[in-house]
Amino acid sequence: MQLEGIGFEIAGTRILKELTLDFPDRGVSGLVGQSGSGKSTLLKILARQQAPTHGTVSFNGKPLHVWTEREFARQVAYLPQHTPLAAGLTVRELVELGRYPWHGALGRFGAKDRENVDEALSLTSMESFADRFVDTLSGGERQRAWLAMLIAQDAKLLLLDEPISSLDVAHQVSVMKLVTRLSRDRGAGVIVVIHEINMAARFCDQIVALKGGRMIARGPAESFMTPERLQQIYDVAMGVVPAPEIGGTIAYVRE
Amino acid sequence: MSATEKLGDARAHGPLTLSLALAALAAGSVWILLATPVSHALAHGNATNGYDVVRMVLVYATLPRLAMALLCGAGLAAAGAILQQVLLNPLASPTTLGVDAGARLALALATLFTPSLLGFGRDAVALFGSAASTVLVFALVRRTFSAISIVLAGLVVSLYCGALSAMLILVKDRYLASLFIWGSGSLSQQSWEPTIALAWRLAIIAIPLAFLVRPLTLMELGDESARSLGISVERLRFLAIAIAVVLSALVTSAVGVIGFIGLVAPILARLSGARRFGERLLWSSLIGALLLLLTDATLQNLAGFSSEFLPTGAVTALLASPLVLLLLPKLKTATRPPLQISPRVGFAMPRSLAVTVAFAAFAILVALAIFAGRSSTGTWQLFPSNGWADVFAWRLPRTAAAAAAGALLGTAGLILQRLTNNEMASPEVLGVSAGAIFAVAVSLFVFGNVKTVQEGIASAIGGFAVLALILLLGRRSGFAPERVLLAGIALSALIDAIVGVLSAAGDPRAVLLLGWMSGSTNGTAAATAIQAGLGAAVLVAASLLFFRWLTILPLGGAQARALGVPLGHSRFMLLLLAAVMTAAATPIIGPLTFVGLMAPHIVLVTGIRRVLPALLCTAAAGAGVMVLADWIARTIAFPLQLPTGLVAAMVGAPFLMVLLSRRGTAYAT
Repeated sequence: MQLEGIGFEIAGTRILKELTLDFPDRGVSGLVGQSGSGKSTLLKILARQQAPTHGTVSFNGKPLHVWTEREFARQVAYLPQHTPLAAGLTVRELVELGRYPWHGALGRFGAKDRENVDEALSLTSMESFADRFVDTLSGGERQRAWLAMLIAQDAKLLLLDEPISSLDVAHQVSVMKLVTRLSRDRGAGVIVVIHEINMAARFCDQIVALKGGRMIARGPAESFMTPERLQQIYDVAMGVVPAPEIGGTIAYVRE
Repeated sequence: MSATEKLGDARAHGPLTLSLALAALAAGSVWILLATPVSHALAHGNATNGYDVVRMVLVYATLPRLAMALLCGAGLAAAGAILQQVLLNPLASPTTLGVDAGARLALALATLFTPSLLGFGRDAVALFGSAASTVLVFALVRRTFSAISIVLAGLVVSLYCGALSAMLILVKDRYLASLFIWGSGSLSQQSWEPTIALAWRLAIIAIPLAFLVRPLTLMELGDESARSLGISVERLRFLAIAIAVVLSALVTSAVGVIGFIGLVAPILARLSGARRFGERLLWSSLIGALLLLLTDATLQNLAGFSSEFLPTGAVTALLASPLVLLLLPKLKTATRPPLQISPRVGFAMPRSLAVTVAFAAFAILVALAIFAGRSSTGTWQLFPSNGWADVFAWRLPRTAAAAAAGALLGTAGLILQRLTNNEMASPEVLGVSAGAIFAVAVSLFVFGNVKTVQEGIASAIGGFAVLALILLLGRRSGFAPERVLLAGIALSALIDAIVGVLSAAGDPRAVLLLGWMSGSTNGTAAATAIQAGLGAAVLVAASLLFFRWLTILPLGGAQARALGVPLGHSRFMLLLLAAVMTAAATPIIGPLTFVGLMAPHIVLVTGIRRVLPALLCTAAAGAGVMVLADWIARTIAFPLQLPTGLVAAMVGAPFLMVLLSRRGTAYAT
């Protein structure tokens, strides 16, 4: 994903300003920043949910608007921050929808499709829930069901908008572990909007920080874990202590 | 933030500016209207010089009529402002909630069957009707106060009341003209008495309303916050809705249905910058009063003496519906999550069994409809005594045509419900049916008595014209379903108003039009039946091609796009298909059936959720309902043949309401 001079305005308010950067094809990239810094908007632009008002985004060297819908969906999968209720669908049926970009409106749902769905269900350990209705699941289970749909989509790049912010710690860790594993095993790229800086430092390969619609920092995750950087991103005095068990550091709020 | 402050400054004077402008226009129009009679009256001094017609008309007809316009406008606008506030729904109004329609039906019933009741209890009758239809609307939506679902429920109730009124008018056509004129809101007066009566009634209502202004302002924060500030939300909501219903019922009882003032005035007040509820209530009432005065005075100027018979209410709707269409994009209607289709209610039958049962039931119905009937003496018999020629010549074509139309409307309903993710959507709501009526009305009035074929052609053209308009209006929003539906509602109202105005002229052709609207399959030719059957087969088969889009689109636009579904294209195709299906079915069974709404719900109850079997079963259910309705219509009042479309609405709508209210517990919220 290459971004060149991306800007986005709504009714005269500039939400993104002059963003120029590359997201690598592999590894997990975290998008961090304060609320209202433009993270979700940026992700929507990358997912083609919104068109930027300025600049161009290209994927695999082709500008986004050139891609046809299905071709693009085979390459890029997107999980919005609030997933719809999906009432009346079982988990398996939901995951099967992820195969739409491959078989299309009328194509046969073939053996390859079935295989992908089974694999997605087992990767997310959702096999035992396969015949449950999505709207009867708990928040964590539902998030896993939607992730399974994204996995079945078999895309090269996953865009996840705050996939863990409504989950408890155990589910947060299991989702992030799943995401890093996918990236490693399948060579997929992941761009994830994430609020919890310790989770970002732990699971992301690189971090991009936004503030007021501009990129203020990017680099390897560990380079962000300094009091100065964190102060700059969040406008809050923060401290950092070593955490030897995980071979990294933990940030905390000093105020 | 100087920009927002400036905006605030400009907005503070908005309502005042708007009211002044309206007042100036209204004053001009009233001056033109009154100049001649007033100067005449002044020139001829007092009334003691005997019988002076001009002066009598001025004092006892024109002036009370203008005062009535002011009162009615204010009352309806206040009712609209209250409803919008209490439901946090910028689309609520006496018209959109079906309050008007209920009052109208109750008064029509009373006029026809217990005229003595009207002598002393006219207000009570109107109030009863309004209250009943309001309760029905809220029973339909249960606790989901989402803007669009309440409006849709209101529309369904209005349509149902309209169907009942149509039935009444067909049965008792002597009263046709007066019912039409009154039902469309005629302000004409013969004395000051009704005006004074309405004035003091409205003044009494204003007292409790004044006490509610402050608590109602807090409702803006939402139920939880309002409750935590010490407000009994349920009681307040009930009281406020009751006041609004009383206001609107009083007006309806006095002058009939004045469409859309209660919607447009509060919207104008809000858009011109009245932010707080108190301001909005005040300015809405003023704007509503002036708006209706302006409309009525202008109407009288333009129409001259025939304005006695030209109902102001219908004209208001005619002027206001385009205004609503223009204003709608400026309102934020999508603040609440949309109603979701919740198919978990049901018998959880195995899928294959459910499909088998559905088709077996359909086959039995068809057999019943074709074989069972009544002999020439009126006795029931399972097989026709005069042999099979009867069956093939008379029963087979009408049964087949009704089944085809039912299948088409049912499938169109399912498509629209999944497309809009709203279980109250249906072709009746899209406005395609209304367009069809309008075209037939025009062809009736322009070309005189038309044949069946021409009727069919006219209705198809009308249906397509409405569709084209909806598509045009919807294109800017990428065919966002709620926009398309709202455009459809406004168009339906517009077309209803035009039909009302045409009919109010007292033309006997209005009866022909009503007959067509009620959907009579009586005397369907074999050729028509074959065409309908082929059309249904082709179109239903075409709908099967879209089953994957229909599965994914209910997940919402973002999700569908993320999966690579071409959003604008897929919505366009599905809307087009639904419109073609509706236009094909409407000439056969009329526009008033609720089959498009009913059939998908019948299928939901059997527990069929997957789109492909659901499409087939919905077609079968729609066909089944229409076949049953057709059979009832043919036999129940033998030898009289009732109109099939109306029978379907009569039988189906209560059934539908039971289905819809059963489902209340299935909501996650």
